[in-house]
Amino acid sequence: MGEQILSGDAGPVLEFRHRQSAHCESGVTSNLLRDAGRDVSEAMVFGVGSGLFFAYLPFLRIGSLPLTTYRTFPGAVFRKAALRLGAQIERRKFGTAAAAMDGLDAMLDQGQCVGCQTGVYWLPYFPSSMRFHFNAHHIVIYGRQGDEYLVSDPTLEHPVTISRRNLAKARFARGPLAPHGKMFWVSQTTATVDWRQAIMAGLRETCGAMRLPVPLVGWRGIRFLASRMAKWPQRLGAERASLCLGSVIRMQEEIGTGGGGFRFIFAAFLQEAADRLQEPRLAAMSERLTAVGDRWRDFALEASRFCKGRDDAVESTTELAAIIADCGERERGIFTELAAITRSLKVGQ
Amino acid sequence: MPASSPELENDLQALIVKSCNIEFDLPDDLTHDEPLIGPESPYGLDSLDAVEIIVAVQRRYKVRIGADENNREALRSVKALAAYVRQLQAAQA
Repeated sequence: MGEQILSGDAGPVLEFRHRQSAHCESGVTSNLLRDAGRDVSEAMVFGVGSGLFFAYLPFLRIGSLPLTTYRTFPGAVFRKAALRLGAQIERRKFGTAAAAMDGLDAMLDQGQCVGCQTGVYWLPYFPSSMRFHFNAHHIVIYGRQGDEYLVSDPTLEHPVTISRRNLAKARFARGPLAPHGKMFWVSQTTATVDWRQAIMAGLRETCGAMRLPVPLVGWRGIRFLASRMAKWPQRLGAERASLCLGSVIRMQEEIGTGGGGFRFIFAAFLQEAADRLQEPRLAAMSERLTAVGDRWRDFALEASRFCKGRDDAVESTTELAAIIADCGERERGIFTELAAITRSLKVGQ
Repeated sequence: MPASSPELENDLQALIVKSCNIEFDLPDDLTHDEPLIGPESPYGLDSLDAVEIIVAVQRRYKVRIGADENNREALRSVKALAAYVRQLQAAQA
């Protein structure tokens, strides 16, 4: 719980250490846990919270284009990481924006820093060109000064402020993943944490999810996307194929961090886990996953050049699909081996 | 490429022009604070170009711009990108 360092008519200002991170939800979770006394990195939060995933869901549309996701559902990383790391959490949603803001004020008055789910489009501290309709952006509110709220947005270098009106809009953004004023906080932490057990739980779940015997998710989902992508121009026409490709790239590189980016964060988790558990096999997996992240980025680069019609771009989506298929095959190997390594790790050592 | 070089902003601008195939003449009074991406960008770039910028910077300066939400901040302008590259290089040193 943040210590109140200022109060009065201006409102409470709590002590909260802002740290920049790669991904909003794992960054917010790490910062809230640290605020509650549990020193844990963003990468560890992401790994223990089983944040890595893949699904290609052509029947779910965002802006009329098929959904591709490279991570688990928003909120899951916070919930799983906090519980596995010995933290008790509280979450609330609201029916109206006014109730949500009153609820937030009440928590701040009690000296509690609070995480909030928001819509990026309504956060005016981002340049207008960088705002888009993504409703699962996570921030921490750690104080209020009159009508302005103090924001720790982990994607920014420094804390910022936002007006009550704009924050209310962002917390009640409409559309897919609408936040409904959702706020969350860490109410308590245990004295100690069983790191081995927490890491193993995160590894087990991620390996299981990436190896699910379902064609649309995990490495099979990546392979499925590759097979569909190769046929997009014939099935959908050149224009719509380009739109679908652009959507995959944007989901990978922009929306809630990119697929490649999530691979890098999970690789950092594996490295940290290797050090903590004295398990060099995890470090080797970390290197391989970093290489896959680079491969995802190769795809994004080639695909964007293809969409832009650059002179030196690849000639067809078949070549792009081959890169994706390669990513899927590499991830199949990594998560199969990682599952075996996880099984061989002993609890309580 | 020394990241502390005062020419880093100019180098980055040249790299962006080349990697994104900007073929028109940029305004003479262009500053390094201008938005890089979006409708207000004098470079005429969109979010797909951002990928090309990230990869080009990664390859040239040997820094990993971590496919993350920091990109949003780093790609605000040439000046912000230069600051980000310097920060990453300092962290790697």
